[in-house]
Amino acid sequence: MTNVPAIEVRGLTRVFESRKGFLFREVSRTEALRGLDLTVEPEAIFGLLGPNGAGKTTLVKILSTLLLPSTGTALVLGHDVVEESAWLRPRIGLVLGGERGLYNRINARDNLRYFADLYGIPPHEREHRIDEVLERVGLEGAADRRVEEYSRGMKQKLHIARGILHRPQVLFLDEPTIGLDPKSARETRKLVRSLVSDGVTIFLTTHYMFEAEELCPEIAVMSKGRIVARDTVAGLRQLVGGDRTLEAEAYGFEDREVDAIRHLPGVSKVVSEEYGPRTRLTVRLRSLETTPDQVVATLPGHPELAVRERRTSLEDVYLDLVEEEAP
Amino acid sequence: MATADVPHVSRVRATEASLRLAFQMFVADPQWLIPSMIAPVVFGLVAFELFQGAGPDFLTYAILGAGMMSMWGQTLYGSGWAIGQDREFGTLEPTVQSPTPYVYVVLGRVLWNVVSGLAGGGIVYLVVLAVAGAPPALPDPLGFVALFLFVMLTLAAVGILFSAAWVYTRYSGFIQNVGEFAFYVGTGCMFPVVILPFWTNPIALVFPPTWALDALRYLAIPGYVGFAWGFWPDLLGAVATTVVYVAVAGAIFRRVELHVLAKGNLSDY
Amino acid sequence: MLAHAGTYRTENRVSFWRTFWSNAVIAPRTTLGFMRIDFVLGTIFIIPLMQMVFFVFVVQVSGGGPSEIAFTALGNAVSTVTYSSIFSVCQTTDSEKQQGTMEHLLVSPANRLALYFGRGLLPILISLATVSVGIAYATFLFGVAIPLSAVPTLAVSVVLTAFAMVGFGLLLGGVALYLRTSIILGNIFLFIGLLLSGVNFPTSQLPPVVAWIGYGFPLTWGLAAIRASVAGDPWGTIGLLWGLVVASAIASFGCAIGLWEYFERRALATGSIAKF
Repeated sequence: MTNVPAIEVRGLTRVFESRKGFLFREVSRTEALRGLDLTVEPEAIFGLLGPNGAGKTTLVKILSTLLLPSTGTALVLGHDVVEESAWLRPRIGLVLGGERGLYNRINARDNLRYFADLYGIPPHEREHRIDEVLERVGLEGAADRRVEEYSRGMKQKLHIARGILHRPQVLFLDEPTIGLDPKSARETRKLVRSLVSDGVTIFLTTHYMFEAEELCPEIAVMSKGRIVARDTVAGLRQLVGGDRTLEAEAYGFEDREVDAIRHLPGVSKVVSEEYGPRTRLTVRLRSLETTPDQVVATLPGHPELAVRERRTSLEDVYLDLVEEEAP
Repeated sequence: MATADVPHVSRVRATEASLRLAFQMFVADPQWLIPSMIAPVVFGLVAFELFQGAGPDFLTYAILGAGMMSMWGQTLYGSGWAIGQDREFGTLEPTVQSPTPYVYVVLGRVLWNVVSGLAGGGIVYLVVLAVAGAPPALPDPLGFVALFLFVMLTLAAVGILFSAAWVYTRYSGFIQNVGEFAFYVGTGCMFPVVILPFWTNPIALVFPPTWALDALRYLAIPGYVGFAWGFWPDLLGAVATTVVYVAVAGAIFRRVELHVLAKGNLSDY
Repeated sequence: MLAHAGTYRTENRVSFWRTFWSNAVIAPRTTLGFMRIDFVLGTIFIIPLMQMVFFVFVVQVSGGGPSEIAFTALGNAVSTVTYSSIFSVCQTTDSEKQQGTMEHLLVSPANRLALYFGRGLLPILISLATVSVGIAYATFLFGVAIPLSAVPTLAVSVVLTAFAMVGFGLLLGGVALYLRTSIILGNIFLFIGLLLSGVNFPTSQLPPVVAWIGYGFPLTWGLAAIRASVAGDPWGTIGLLWGLVVASAIASFGCAIGLWEYFERRALATGSIAKF
């Protein structure tokens, strides 16, 4: 381990401008990042969660030297992403994924050969390295097929293969398992873990809560261009009101009943949601004091009442944090 | 850390990789040869039809002009479209993100197009020849071939510089379409630039192919009246402007890259 | 069933005019960017001028006099209609493929006739403007004399030519469903027109077999009608040429619809609809 953080971001902003019209130009501005601060330690997986439009991909593109920030600084491996991009590019990898970004008319091997040459992988090592990464992502049997014949999942794997081809020190993965079937997604997560044990720092954005929970010791939640929370999964659970969640469901609750639940010991948050004729109270608990039986006792007169206890999930945390940010 | 050091990126190897990719993409979709051939062949035949009866040298004019247009199509258009395709495929982002300066990727594409442009020029020559029935008399065939190859390099220089526009904006295809005939007129593909209004001459002289083509005509057509200064100054002008184009291209690509990184439009198409 | 309560019944027909309108106005904006006014202005004002200047200089250097120059100028003025009629229509198909919207278009129940005619509307308007500007250049810059009395017949000839050429563009766009890219076809016919349609010299100068190919293009008849109008030819001659232009337009639109249906099936069968 070195003392230099893998990623260090200070006061990062990014504004996109788009123009419409010919004679009367109309300029619209979108603030994708609004003064973002972030430090990521090396040789670990850092997870970034956030809704669509939160600014995750913008941040990934800036950190991977594909986009300039409007203001602020971003260092990767201690080097400025704007001023020292030439130093950084051979040391970082990027997986943006999706249907685009590959040469569809040629095969996977030729795609990788091209990028191997652009990354300066020594000629005597190139073919061996290509075979290695193809095997690592499970595409060894399809290496000589044109990419246009690939399924979405296979393309995603090829994106990952290209991203790790040159053995980057920091790998940016923008939703790497999107479009993959469960088996391939699991293999990809295994691959990501193995990369970390090789000493690679992984910066991962994802929509899948279980994926973040499974892979990332540390997670940040992003909303509207800012980091709204950052901690371990356990820490985030505490942040939104506790590790335990009780759900009570019946045909409607009165306000006084919801208030009574709110005043039970250890209750940090109560959310009421309607599902057709039924209402669900989600009760977040900081301690073990309140039990499901106490909730049943607090809500008499509901013969159909169903109460169940579960562990607060990362999805609960995420939704709570993002909803708090919503106007 | 995973890698203590990084491998040296060879610019020659990167250029070769880009050339190889252009070839592979061409083999996967060879029909692209048709449009880049059809225009010059048509122009050659139109010129031949119009020039008929205007003297024996006009066959050389027709072939030279059409060949030049073919090479322009392949070298400049082809190079531009290759970058445009990178935009469409979404591969411009990972390519720019690689440690190879993008200008070497462009150079590889342009070199492939030089090769295919030569093939195009050859096809035009054969088609016009088939219609004319006999080849034009060339006083110095070897010198002509050498100079012809040099014309390709001047076009490649223009191609590299103009490719920057394709990196800069997704709309450069339109600009190139609009500029196509302007370039044909300005560089005097089918007629000596000196017959254009005098005020246009300085603009024409900005393009290396204008000089090179004038030199080529001095070599191929006895009694040709082009620029008053004659063959050798033409050749010198072609070399000088080509060097300037290559130097400017080398300097401009990093700036263009920074501009598109600031705008964030690398993935637009 | 609740799940189906909100869905549209399959027997509900998608309105012809709505399909027409959305394809005439919305589709070009999404697929071409060619609703950018600066692009449209460039197509109308710059491309015709440059093409005309090029060929006029070629004629001049080959020893052509004012009448040859006027012939070439008018021919090229009209031939520039191919940029908006053929090229842009083909490009629309390519864009649909690249953006992945072609598959959605083909699975929609939209009336194909409305769809194709709608797609042709904007190119027709731009084609009209392009030819009109080209003829104005020919008149004011290259000495093409157009008597005032010829203007009404000339206008009709221009409209019919634009209409026929867009039909031809749609026909090529149909083939493009099957090919990876249709720009190739656009390029081929853009330039072949210069050789075979009497743009720079009369089609009759060509060897008979080649000339007959030229007679198969709407541009040949449209240009002939325009030349006849400018020359003040008798009504009989102009009327006959109009008839031929209209016939070629009907044939083009008819073949376009047939080809789109045929190549739609072929493209779906071979999977080429997703290849570009």
